[in-house]
Amino acid sequence: MGLVLDVAKCTECKRCMIACSLAKSGAVRMGASRIDIRSSWPKAPEIRVCRFEDCDGHPCIASCPVKAISELDGVVLIDSGACIGCGACEASCPYQAITIENGTALKCDLCGGDPACVKECVTGAIRNREVAD
Amino acid sequence: MTGSMFDRMIRIDVGKRESTLWTVPDDLRSYLGGIGYGVKLLCAEVDPRIDPLSPDNKIILTVGPLTGTSAPMHAQSCIVTKSPLTGTILNSYAGGFLGPEIKFCGLDGIIFEGAAAEWSLVLIDNEGVRFEPAADIVGKTTGEAEAYIKDNYGHDYRTLSIGPAGERAVAMASVFSETRAFGRGGAGAVLGSKRIKAIGIRGTGAVTTADPARFRELTARNMDVLREARVDEYGLVGIFSKFGTGGGMSLVQGHGALPTKNHTYGSFDGAETIDGPFFEENLYTRRIACFGCPIHCGRIHTFSAADGNELWSRGPEYETMFSLGSNLLNGDAATLAEANRLTEQYGVDSLTVGVTIAWAFEMAEAGKLNVPGLDLGFGNAQAVLGLIHMICMREGIGDMLANGPRQAALELGNGSIGRAMQVKNSGFAAWMPRRMKGTGLAYATSNRGACHKRAPIGAEIAGALDMDSYEGKAAVVIETQNTVNAIFTLISCRFHEFVTDHEIYPKLLAAATGRSASWDEMVTLGERIWNLEKLFNLKAGLTRDDDRLPGKCYEPVLGKTSQSAVMDEAKFEAMLDEYYRLRGWNAAGIPGKRRLDELGIGEYAM
Repeated sequence: MGLVLDVAKCTECKRCMIACSLAKSGAVRMGASRIDIRSSWPKAPEIRVCRFEDCDGHPCIASCPVKAISELDGVVLIDSGACIGCGACEASCPYQAITIENGTALKCDLCGGDPACVKECVTGAIRNREVAD
Repeated sequence: MTGSMFDRMIRIDVGKRESTLWTVPDDLRSYLGGIGYGVKLLCAEVDPRIDPLSPDNKIILTVGPLTGTSAPMHAQSCIVTKSPLTGTILNSYAGGFLGPEIKFCGLDGIIFEGAAAEWSLVLIDNEGVRFEPAADIVGKTTGEAEAYIKDNYGHDYRTLSIGPAGERAVAMASVFSETRAFGRGGAGAVLGSKRIKAIGIRGTGAVTTADPARFRELTARNMDVLREARVDEYGLVGIFSKFGTGGGMSLVQGHGALPTKNHTYGSFDGAETIDGPFFEENLYTRRIACFGCPIHCGRIHTFSAADGNELWSRGPEYETMFSLGSNLLNGDAATLAEANRLTEQYGVDSLTVGVTIAWAFEMAEAGKLNVPGLDLGFGNAQAVLGLIHMICMREGIGDMLANGPRQAALELGNGSIGRAMQVKNSGFAAWMPRRMKGTGLAYATSNRGACHKRAPIGAEIAGALDMDSYEGKAAVVIETQNTVNAIFTLISCRFHEFVTDHEIYPKLLAAATGRSASWDEMVTLGERIWNLEKLFNLKAGLTRDDDRLPGKCYEPVLGKTSQSAVMDEAKFEAMLDEYYRLRGWNAAGIPGKRRLDELGIGEYAM
């Protein structure tokens, strides 16, 4: 599992963020999105989201002082009940894919294998790794 | 709060440096949002006779019931104010990301009142409003003002700004918002008159809907329609997606309706080197979209300036390819790109500024206008760039041109007024009224001056209507004006309506807000708003004369495909009579009490 990114195709419409925040919070709220599109005109944007397959050593897992982060079948998950919101994982992530909101760390969990963002991306800037391969 | 509407706006008195939250009253809620809120509020609170650049004017910045939701192609926000360009009530729109950000602040709109003593920045977030000095960026470009806010107050701020043109009360100055502009009508000069250099807006809140399951279903179905339209290479929306809005230039050219050399010809030999496909092949580097839009008609391009510097900018859009391209006999893409970039950085409407320059060129060629040191003439790139600078800085002849094409022609006199291609001092858009009679009537009768947003362009270009016929055009124009006003209460993108059935709008409205209005009721609301605008304009002093086309429209078009196309003045006047009659207005264009009573706005009758 995982996401394959092609920033050259990203139009910065943020439908991925809209879909993610709706899936995770039931409302459109950009802070609730686990994926973030950061503009950098005239260059292509930066897409901040978990890049498990590209990530060397998954430092977020070791960074967590309360062992709230674990890996299962190629997906890094955060146990929000155990999370103390210390921000260590946020600081450790080389892709800036983790944010702290209301005292809890948030990151992409691939929606259990059927990511809401992928379905909304009309240009193919975000694809499912399995489909892309 | 009902679903996606907060029923709350914020009033900002920039003179007193005060802001107050204001609950939207019930009678205003029936206007749904967007243009409806703006027009109703301005009509209720601003005397039509005021000087638009006085502190008595207001800027009403609104969003709609679908802004900030997952509904695609509803990113725009709307400014309503009294225009310093036209002297009319103005509604002007910008896409991008500003609209949703206003919603994320928990607001349905922002009202700017009064005028500050010193140049100011206004910062708005979920906590409230604060004012900061703007001394560091007075005189700076829109891009510099935008960067200043992001660098000093945070990159998550969405920005509005004016450039040097807005600071100098240039009548066609625009308000810019990052990739987009409230282009038409001079809202930038109004913001400048209030001494607001820039505005930062940052919202962190949520937008919900009244019936999330139903809303999700409607949005998913609409996305299916748009996914198909996006890749339909024969449909306009598909063409805009693939090539930007300039993708249809050859189609317009083929009909001899591409205004060229100040509307002298209907086709331009240099069109192939400035149109959408040319830019897509050679200059565009990125496709960019508004919030939530799958069509991404926006573009970023790079180019080499005359001095060899590598520059980049947004656009140019189709209308600019006309106004700074074909209409000036400019077939050089780099010159067009540089002119487009200048209008953006100085903060001015590329349409009306180009129309004004075209008029100046024609006057120079006729020996009626002479500017020492500047060789005014069609095809002269340096004169185009020089005049944009002079207009925006109000230098030399630019001071006269900065008041708009009609005002400049009145000042010059010497029979020049009929060559200024404008209505109500707002420049024609990129469609030729002599070829497209309905579009001509739409330009003439538009409440905000020559306007293509409410013209039957698609039907006339695609052939559903005979473009040269006068028959039945009055009814079609009325229907278009009412319909577009209806969707602008939701601030739907004009391109959304090209491919989406109208019946979706009441459904989206109900699922988002729990409020109900049938499509017919929405169109009647559009008519109600149109009449309120008209009454505002009449009370401001406009007459039937302001609903007429310039004299050049009654002379034949020259050139290949459009040879001898002409607007017959008597037939135009008959069309205007028919238009007034069908609207329930008298021969002077004054709405009758009976129709106003039927629309529920009898108290505004004259």
